[in-house]
Amino acid sequence: MKNQSDILNRIDRKDGLTVPEGYFENFAAKMIESLPYRDEAEKPAGIIHAPATFWSRVRPYVYLAAMFAGIWCMLKMFSLMVSPTDANNVIDRNPVLAEAIGSDAFINDYVFDDLSQWDIIDEMIEDGFDSSSLENFAESDHEISFIDPAAPAGSE
Amino acid sequence: MADLPVENKELIARLRDPETCRGAFGEVIKTYSEPLYWQIRRMVQSHDDADDILQNTFMKAWSSIENFRGDAKLSTWLYKIAINESITFLDRERKRLSVSIDDQEADLARTIEADTFFDGDELQRKLRVAIASLPEKQRLVFNMKYFDDMKYEDMSNILGTSIGALKASYHLAVKKIENFFTGTD
Repeated sequence: MKNQSDILNRIDRKDGLTVPEGYFENFAAKMIESLPYRDEAEKPAGIIHAPATFWSRVRPYVYLAAMFAGIWCMLKMFSLMVSPTDANNVIDRNPVLAEAIGSDAFINDYVFDDLSQWDIIDEMIEDGFDSSSLENFAESDHEISFIDPAAPAGSE
Repeated sequence: MADLPVENKELIARLRDPETCRGAFGEVIKTYSEPLYWQIRRMVQSHDDADDILQNTFMKAWSSIENFRGDAKLSTWLYKIAINESITFLDRERKRLSVSIDDQEADLARTIEADTFFDGDELQRKLRVAIASLPEKQRLVFNMKYFDDMKYEDMSNILGTSIGALKASYHLAVKKIENFFTGTD
């Protein structure tokens, strides 16, 4: 065993291998030269920004101001639609209109102008008017006449 | 042979910077080409094959340089690539020549006999043949420990094997080499 260990000791970690002269110097130079260009590894990691112009500096503030102006316009428009402030558009504040609406003649002439008697009776029945009371009314010698719209004129 | 080259933090920082990585990698080539070459050469024996594998090693390292995050030592990373390339080469040669592992050992022995880049004595030549007869893993361990005097800890990081297993593997390799000399002396 001792003789066998001596063999490795005699060799003294030398393997006798050689390389062509100048191999390592040439190898390094050749290898560096042959390295391909790699986009993902060699391009700068960050994005290069162009120099800032005046417009690029003020642009955020202009956009912000435009946004607030837009919001103000919308709110103004909504308030006009919901509660108009123009006095001429408010009936209650217009004395001419208020007086006209307070007059029965104006309502009959201009608002209910196209109502027929049938419309009025239909309205009364829908509101719970008892039509039998009309018969009692007739029996009590009160005179009442219904206009039959289908009957020819002058036939009543 | 000495320990692995000392890690240079400034060099690693430059490797990770896209603007300086090419220049820094040139320094890596200059620093590591020789120790990596000897490791590869002792595995494949032929200078020409070792030269090809060394080039492939640096090409692979360069193409995946962004994968090197500095968590591991640069030398460990490069040795891993070099050893993987060497083993891949031997596997490919075995398949190409359709020979068994035993036949490949005989083929390596013939390469050693015909090697023109060798100026050692008969004892050193026999040692090369004895090493070539070892299984790949034992050959790696023996070369790293005996010729490079590499620390078991570094070997463990490179080969991904426990220190205990490496020590056992080295002891086994020494025994086989001693037996080889006993049988041939």
